[in-house]
Amino acid sequence: MKKVRFLLSMILIIAVAFGIVNSPAAADEAPIKIAVAAPLTGDNSEYGIGFYNAVTMMAESWNEKGGIQGRSIVVEQFDDKNSPEEGVSVANKIASDKDIRCVIGHFASGVCMAAAPTYQDYKIIEISPSASHPDYSGIGDFIFRNNTVIMHEAKASLDIAVNDLGKKNIGIISIKTDWGVSTAGIVKNLVEEMADSGATVVAHEEVIEGSDDYRPAITKLHDAGADVVICVGMYNLVAPVSRQYKEINPDIQIVGFSNSYSEELIKLGGESVEGVAFPVIFFSKSDDPKVQEFVANFKEKFGSEPSALTAQAYDSAGIYFTAVEKLGDEKDSDALRDEIANLTYDGVTGTTKFDENGDVQKSFTKVTIKNGEFVLLEDGASK
Amino acid sequence: MRDKKISFNNLEKFLYQPSVFMILTGAALAVLLIVPWLGLNSYLMNIVVKVAIYITLALGLNILVGYTGLVSLGQAGFVAVGAYATTILTKVYGWNFFTSLIVCVVLAAAVGIVIGLPSLRLTGTYLSIITLGFGEIIRTVIIVWEPLTNGPMGIRGIPRPALGGITFTMANSGMYYLSLLLMLLVMLFCRTLVRSKTGRALRAVKGDETAAVMMGINVTYYKVLAFVLAAVISALAGSLYSTQLGYIDQNTFTFDMSTIILSIVILGGMGTLRGMVIGSIILILLPELSRSLTDYRFVIYGLILILMMRFRPQGILGWKSRLPYPIRKTVIERISGPQNQTADDGETNHA
Amino acid sequence: MLLQQIMNGVTIGMTYALIAVGYSLVFGILRLVNFSHGSVYAFGANSILFLISLNIGIIPAILIGILLTGILGVLIDKTALEPLRKKSAEGITSLITTIGVSSVITNLLIARLGSQKKAFPALFPTGEIIVGSIKFTYTQIGMLVISLALLICLLLIVERTKIGLAMRASEQNITAAKLMGINVNFVISFTFFLGGMSAAIAGTLVSSYYNMAYPNMGYTAGLKAFAAAVLGGIGSLPGSLLGGLVVGISESFAATVLGSEFRDSMAFIILICVLIIRPNGFLGKKSIKKV
Repeated sequence: MKKVRFLLSMILIIAVAFGIVNSPAAADEAPIKIAVAAPLTGDNSEYGIGFYNAVTMMAESWNEKGGIQGRSIVVEQFDDKNSPEEGVSVANKIASDKDIRCVIGHFASGVCMAAAPTYQDYKIIEISPSASHPDYSGIGDFIFRNNTVIMHEAKASLDIAVNDLGKKNIGIISIKTDWGVSTAGIVKNLVEEMADSGATVVAHEEVIEGSDDYRPAITKLHDAGADVVICVGMYNLVAPVSRQYKEINPDIQIVGFSNSYSEELIKLGGESVEGVAFPVIFFSKSDDPKVQEFVANFKEKFGSEPSALTAQAYDSAGIYFTAVEKLGDEKDSDALRDEIANLTYDGVTGTTKFDENGDVQKSFTKVTIKNGEFVLLEDGASK
Repeated sequence: MRDKKISFNNLEKFLYQPSVFMILTGAALAVLLIVPWLGLNSYLMNIVVKVAIYITLALGLNILVGYTGLVSLGQAGFVAVGAYATTILTKVYGWNFFTSLIVCVVLAAAVGIVIGLPSLRLTGTYLSIITLGFGEIIRTVIIVWEPLTNGPMGIRGIPRPALGGITFTMANSGMYYLSLLLMLLVMLFCRTLVRSKTGRALRAVKGDETAAVMMGINVTYYKVLAFVLAAVISALAGSLYSTQLGYIDQNTFTFDMSTIILSIVILGGMGTLRGMVIGSIILILLPELSRSLTDYRFVIYGLILILMMRFRPQGILGWKSRLPYPIRKTVIERISGPQNQTADDGETNHA
Repeated sequence: MLLQQIMNGVTIGMTYALIAVGYSLVFGILRLVNFSHGSVYAFGANSILFLISLNIGIIPAILIGILLTGILGVLIDKTALEPLRKKSAEGITSLITTIGVSSVITNLLIARLGSQKKAFPALFPTGEIIVGSIKFTYTQIGMLVISLALLICLLLIVERTKIGLAMRASEQNITAAKLMGINVNFVISFTFFLGGMSAAIAGTLVSSYYNMAYPNMGYTAGLKAFAAAVLGGIGSLPGSLLGGLVVGISESFAATVLGSEFRDSMAFIILICVLIIRPNGFLGKKSIKKV
């Protein structure tokens, strides 16, 4: 009896669990599906949730206009936890849904590059708002990015460090990921190229993403005499490094990359991230009316200002919807690909036109943090 | 109540009649063979393959935990050895997947011996702790040995196994059949092992080590052997797992993986073969299928473990291996007469 | 430089010692590796951070959080482990149960608070004292003083009080202790309470040292503290302190000399070497195997 009851209860538990799972979303007349694949949990969830919010907002604005050819747009979210392994699994899940023809995402370059071959195989358009690793867009012709290749961004970061802040002894602290290693290498090469400015890399330390204690690396940078540190990592590297570095050297200057542009940086770093500077291709306090409108809407909806990568996700979705509208539907993958490749899109992050690799060129704005807010570097420097 | 129990046992007896058992096994095999034609989408097929691989992993650990009574908390380390060995050989040196498996087996056996050797000095919990430590150290080796393993950047684009011009992919179900084949071979091996002299020796070690020594069993040899077998099976499964994932780094093989494998073994029922199947299906399928519960799915996973241990500590199919030295039912009946039910009542042994 | 590294190692090692106490006490009595302890530590830090955000003042928030974490420890024992003891289940079932408990606690924290890292307020003023070539930040000094005071308190409880005597008796022989009229279940709950409290204090100190807290913080810290407990000799409080310091200092050296990659496995490398030579750890008593 006990056994039978036990078996029954086990079956029941499993059945219930499956029941919760299999409640399908109400299907109306074949909506256009777009996937957002990004970290929705974990340390980088800030970015992923931003992607999702941005794409949802873009989709809603199209739906208000009556959708595309009368069909509504549905956004589906997939959590890749910022792990390449999980990214591949998500890519397979997306590929198994025949209705999804476009993915906005993945966040980290390493994850994008792990998942991209799957999208390429299934002829699904992948537009990453954030991947900046040089090799990413070369994986296939269905692989696009609405972000500049890291070379340009690294140049802009160095420009801040050397020309705006006037520092010569550069320390580099980088995370050990595909993106981190390649970016740190690029920064080093760029410094060598600009040797006549007197700038040198005095030390380079690699750290594992997600650790808590960067003090050993910081001690080494400090002993090498760095007066500016290029932080190759996300906000979760920049914030603790700023804080722990300022314990031993309150005058250190920290320069980051566009992915530092996140409210979480200020929340986690507090006072210590004051003066952290980085280049971005979208700035929410720009006086462009289009940007102002977007920022106001976003703020009203989600209660926070959109970051650069969020805006890039917003435009990425816009690019896809525009391409689908021009074609009429999203059935023909190859036609869709060509349409996107040839599209010139005017969005909140400026004019987007993919080159033959699927990359874009944008101009940079320099941003810093002052009194707990993001401000333009020239405003922030003139204290 | 009594009636139901008897009928349940009768059902069990019915199922274990050789002819019925053969038919059922055949039917199960047939179902497994046609799975790819059921029209499951590629995502579901991936989960099915993952379940098959975890069954294999659990079978490997079962040799240690279930038969020999050595609790290993570092199984993910063995999986990592296999995964990295094959991945590096196929991707960097262009070896064929199946040739690299030979190297993988040798390497895993060597690692198994190294990790098994402390069992000469340590017993019980301390041995488990050592295995846990080894699992973590193997992860550090992966991070540090960057020229070979590519460190924390991981290895991308792991080639699919190929033999004679046929590539085993998810799309042509080759991966499925490959993992199925491995699973069935390992299952067959474990089944043969339990019934062999070696299997009896292993269980003697588990039952009472001192008594086993008295019986003239070379305990050291059998303990290390159990580690080697577990390591080799895990490494083979790891090789397949890495090709299925297409990407590995040190975070693929964390302590969490070890605990999942161990949980499968305990949940399914230590020392049983079918238990591994049931355990894997529950613990792998549940978190995958309940993705919509997002954060709460691992809460449920934890609750299942707690409740299972509370109400059924011997595992779901735990009653199947109640006897340390199973004697065929027909023999029991011949000795004790058909009306004697005590030998069938597994729960009294555990209560 | 050398002394500075030792100092950094000692600071973090003291907190490992505090977490290790929880493993050590429980293992001493129950012979159980309590894998949920890491998540209890994370619960301590995160609940305190949550309480602080309610604006009830930092000190009350910390005290309530410490108490809550102690109660959580008791709760784990009462709901999950005591029923198993009553059934005198095999050791492995308790082990799996604690893994399950750990999964439940960590993931509930993630579900309620989100898994990202959150800023944790500094508990000590910034600034430092320089003695010779070593810099002591106020945070480090505060951490040292508090952990040391706490460890001495715990030692006094175990060595000098009646309940401590009962704990030691249960550790020697649980059945005999029962026969002597000791309420063993109460003793065990009390042990869990002590373990939970010291883990919460360690969590607070570490979070304030790194300025952040997050639900998964107990994972590596738990494993390392556990290694420290075994290293020093499980069941021995001075052993936990010694183990914690050894792990902390060796990590600090590994991170600077060998590179930060080696940091997380130093605890285990030392542990394995020590266990192979001295199977009961530095200060562990040799247990007599009964046949």
